[in-house]
Order: sequence, then C-alpha cells, then structure tokens
Amino acid sequence: MLLTQIIISGLLLGGIYVLLSIGLTLIFGVLKIVNFAHGSFLMIAMYGSYLLFKQWHIDPYLGIIIVAPGLFLIGIAVYVLVIKRVMVAPDVAQIFATVGLSTALENTALLVFHADYLSVRTTYADVVLTIGQIRISLALLIGFLVAIIITFGLFGFLKYTYMGKAIRASTQDELSSVLVGIHREKIYMVTFGIGLATLGIAGAILMPLYPVFPTVGSHFVLIAFVVVVLGGMGNMVGAMFGGLIIGLIESLSGFFISPSMQQLVYFVIFILILVLRPQGLMGFKLRRRVVAK
Amino acid sequence: MKLSKKTIIQLTILAVVAMIPLVLDNDYYLDMIINIFLWALLAGAWNLTAGYGGLLSLGHAAFLGIGAYTSTILFVKMGVSPWIGMLAGGLLASAVGVLLGYLTIRLKGPFFSLATLAFAEIMTIIAVNARGLTRGSEGISVPFKPSFANLVFQGKIEYFYIGLVLCLIPIFIAKYLEHSKIGYYLMAIREDEVAAKSLGVKSVRVKLIVTAVGTFLTAVGGTFYAQYIAFIDPYYIFSVGLSTQIALMAIIGGMGTPFGPVLGAILISFASSYLRSALGSAQAGVHMIVYGLLLVVIVILIPHGLISLTQRKWKKQAANKGGDKTIVKN
Repeated sequence: MLLTQIIISGLLLGGIYVLLSIGLTLIFGVLKIVNFAHGSFLMIAMYGSYLLFKQWHIDPYLGIIIVAPGLFLIGIAVYVLVIKRVMVAPDVAQIFATVGLSTALENTALLVFHADYLSVRTTYADVVLTIGQIRISLALLIGFLVAIIITFGLFGFLKYTYMGKAIRASTQDELSSVLVGIHREKIYMVTFGIGLATLGIAGAILMPLYPVFPTVGSHFVLIAFVVVVLGGMGNMVGAMFGGLIIGLIESLSGFFISPSMQQLVYFVIFILILVLRPQGLMGFKLRRRVVAK
Repeated sequence: MKLSKKTIIQLTILAVVAMIPLVLDNDYYLDMIINIFLWALLAGAWNLTAGYGGLLSLGHAAFLGIGAYTSTILFVKMGVSPWIGMLAGGLLASAVGVLLGYLTIRLKGPFFSLATLAFAEIMTIIAVNARGLTRGSEGISVPFKPSFANLVFQGKIEYFYIGLVLCLIPIFIAKYLEHSKIGYYLMAIREDEVAAKSLGVKSVRVKLIVTAVGTFLTAVGGTFYAQYIAFIDPYYIFSVGLSTQIALMAIIGGMGTPFGPVLGAILISFASSYLRSALGSAQAGVHMIVYGLLLVVIVILIPHGLISLTQRKWKKQAANKGGDKTIVKN
C-alpha cells in the first residue's frame, strides 16, 4: 500500500515535471537552441501569477488565461531581440546569450521582489483526497491533469493545425520546408512563444504548491534538463515519459535512499544518460530518420 | 636574446603592477586588486579549456570548490600546510576533471555545458551532505594563524604578490598554447574536430591534457580564495552563479586570447565597485543585471570579446567575412 502511495505521488509530481519540460524540448526540437533561461521564464510566470492573486485576487488557475499569453508575448520579444541574433552563431554565443539573459532576469527579480519566499494561499492548497488508503493532494492532482491536457493539446496542435504541421515540417527537414514556402522566421518566433506559454501554465500550476523567489527557476530548470535529456532532446513524447520517470525516481529514492539524496540520484542519471545514450531513451526514431535520409 | 617591442611593453606593465603595493597603502584598493588577480586566474584557467579547446564548461565552480575544500580540510583537520593542500587540491581536481572529461568530452556544445552544470550540482549536494568532512551547509572557516607556512597573513601585501604570480600562470600557458604543437592541435579541434581527427590529431587526449591543466589551476584558485576570504560556503563555492561569473569575465574580455580574461577581470571588478558605490548596497543585484545584459550584448555584437577591438587581425577577419556575404548574395 505504501509503495502504491509512493508511486502515485511520484507520477503526480512527474506530471508537473512534464509541464516544466515540454516547452524546453519543443524549442530545442525546432530551433536547435538549448534555452538556459528556461527557469527564469518560469520564475517570471510564477511572479505574474502571484501578482494577479495579490493585486486582483485572481486565482492562479484562472490567471492562466493572462499569464500564458503574457509569456507568449515575452517569448516573441526575446526571440526577436536575442535568440534570432544567435541562431547561426557559434556555440558560445548560443549558450551564453541565454545564460546572460537568465542572470539579468534573476537579479531583476531580486531587485523588484527581494529574496523573500512569496506564496499564494488558496482554499484548495491543503485539501487532500483520500481514496481507500491512498492520499492525494488536490493541487497536485489538478496540476497533473492540466499537464496531461496541455501535453495532449500540444500534440493535437502539432498534428492537426496548419501552424503545427509547419513547425513539424521545419523540425524534420528545414531546407525542404523553406522550399515549400514555410516562413522559417515565423515558425521560430511562434515556437519560442509557445514554449514560453507552456511555462506560463506551469508557473500558474506550481504557484499554489510552491513559493516563488528569484532563483526558483534554477532549481526547476535542472529537473527540466534532466527530463528533456532523458526523453531525447526535442522529443515531446520522450519528455512526457521522462517527466513521469523522474517524478517516480524522485519519490522512490526519497523513500528508499534518503530525501537529501533525491537530487543526487537524478543528476547522476542525467550524466549517465548524456554519456551512454545522448539521444535519450526514446531517441531511436530520430536516429532512424537521419539514416533514412 | 632580443626582446620585441611588445614584450618590453608587457614587462613594463608587469613591473608597474608589481610596484603598486609600494606606493599604494590602501587596503580597499589592494583588496580590489587581489580580487582581480583571483578572477583573472579563474577566468584564465576557464579560458584554457573553453577558449582554446571549445569546452564550454558551466560548472567550473566545482573545481574551485574541490581546491578550496581539499586544502581547508587538510589544514583544519590535520594541520597540513595549505601550500601542500593547494597542490593536493589541484591534483585531485585534475584527476576528477580528467575522469569527468573522459566521460563527457565527446558531448557537443550545450550538452557538455549541461553535463558540467549537473556535475557542479552533484558536488554541492555531496558537500552539503558529507557533514563529517565538510560541516555541511554551515561551511568551514580557516583559522587565523598568520604565518607563511599557513598561507595566512596579517596584511594584504603577501596575498597581492601570491595572487600576481598565480594570475600570470594561465597567461604563460595560453601564450605557450599559441605557439606549440599541442596548442595547434587544440585549436584545430575547436575549429573542426572531424578534420583534425582525420589528420591524426588524438582529440580526446589533447582535450584531456588541457582539462587537467585548467582544472588544476582552478583548484589552486580555490585554495587561494579559501585562504584569503577565510571561509567557504558550499552553496556559493559550487554555484552556477559563480561558474557563470568566471565564464562571463573571459567572454567579455575575449576568449581564446592570453590577455582577454585579464581584461575581463579588470573591467568587471572596476565596474562592480563603481556600480556598488553609485547605486548603494540596497540595490543588491543591480551589477549582476548589468553583467547579464552585457554578456548578451557582447556575444551578439562582439563575439570575440572587448580585446578584439584592439586587434587589427580580427578587423581583417571581419572584413573578409563581409566579402563572403556579398558573394553569397550575388
């Protein structure tokens, strides 16, 4: 029974991790850029959601309709001002443009909000559902369900809409997609925006569960990197399984090893995956496509 | 031996710098200069692997921490002189660096950065949890017992000269790399690994050698830091922020050049103290906002760093690139 409890908690946590990582993997898949500022945008989303609650008493979940489009617009702006200019630059520019951005954003938050932990008190934050002997936090369950909806929504968007098809075409064969008239710049811009919009949702989902502070992103971004690398960089289905696996590993290692060692376990897994299977656990499909070309 | 004009200028600058403590008897400025030496050493060590080898580490603070912890633990627990501790820390960091490098050196660009980032996180977790050895999150203080053997001094002048000598080491190594076989190998790998390999360059071995040297120097900087500041905090010494700051100085100054990191360290340190005094300590993070944005602007507009503005060679290269573009357009 205890084991079931641990597994369910792990999966719910994993759902949140999926939501944190899906934008990162989407951006990498299309733009081939590793966004080191991913965590800082999550931090912005969380502060946005906090402010809406504090100023106008808008519930974080309802606030998604403002925060997610807000992050989309921030994404467009960041793409135009920074990312666009390093698209063909050497590695050092691509890496350190987003690292620099992240440093600037975190310290701006420190200046504006100070280092205090700010949290949102909602009526449902402490509600725990009991099914048989299994106890489930309501906020975590809602987070999990939203993560599932968003992930499948994004799959649907990529599969059925014109824009989604254009994005996929651009990922699969950039040159051909340009030749058939897909506007590459627009695809990059929209993808970056969507990637950040998913963080807008993740931020709102996290807000009832977790306090916000200027460096909150650097904690979560490492988890997101682990998830994305585990699933294969750019692989959305992979990120979904990766998130659930990391959630499970975190809750199992917390129980069987020690809570302070949880992170150690998944960072070691992270380096092992990078070294042994850099294409990720699900990376075989991507590789086959390259061979077929 | 006939000295070139450039060498004479460099030696003159060095002599002037070495005379600073004789004329300047102000602890505030001496402290600032010692900090510049430390940053120049760290950025210079990062530059050896990142600038010349293209290994863009985002976890160099891990080796700084290994150096600081090794010498301090040996000193505090066993009374071993930090001079020996410095060597021990350096060798340990080299060994760890080569082992980590052996595993991760084949990773490309951002993936290598991610692996090093994760490694620094692992080191933080170990340092915080191995309480018996490291006193966990409390950190360790270095006892104040001034003597040469203890590498602890009453005044700042001794630190000044030790720092000066240390920060020259990466410059000499970088100069050596620019005119030696291993340096040519390394730069060939950085520019085009496949081509270099096909010409018989043993790419992994060359990268590991420079990693061993770079991590050794970083750890030496760690010992110097611990002895000078007299306190190590695991959440600072292994932090991504510190790794970023090391890289930032080298990039802003100019990667892959002997003097770029020094220029970066000088500019950033002066900018820090100026911004701090101009804005007051209430605005704690302001200087970091400026650095972050500066880093973004520099990598976009002046990817070869500020030192490139003084070099004609680079201007010529830029002109050539412009020429290529027009051909493509036609």
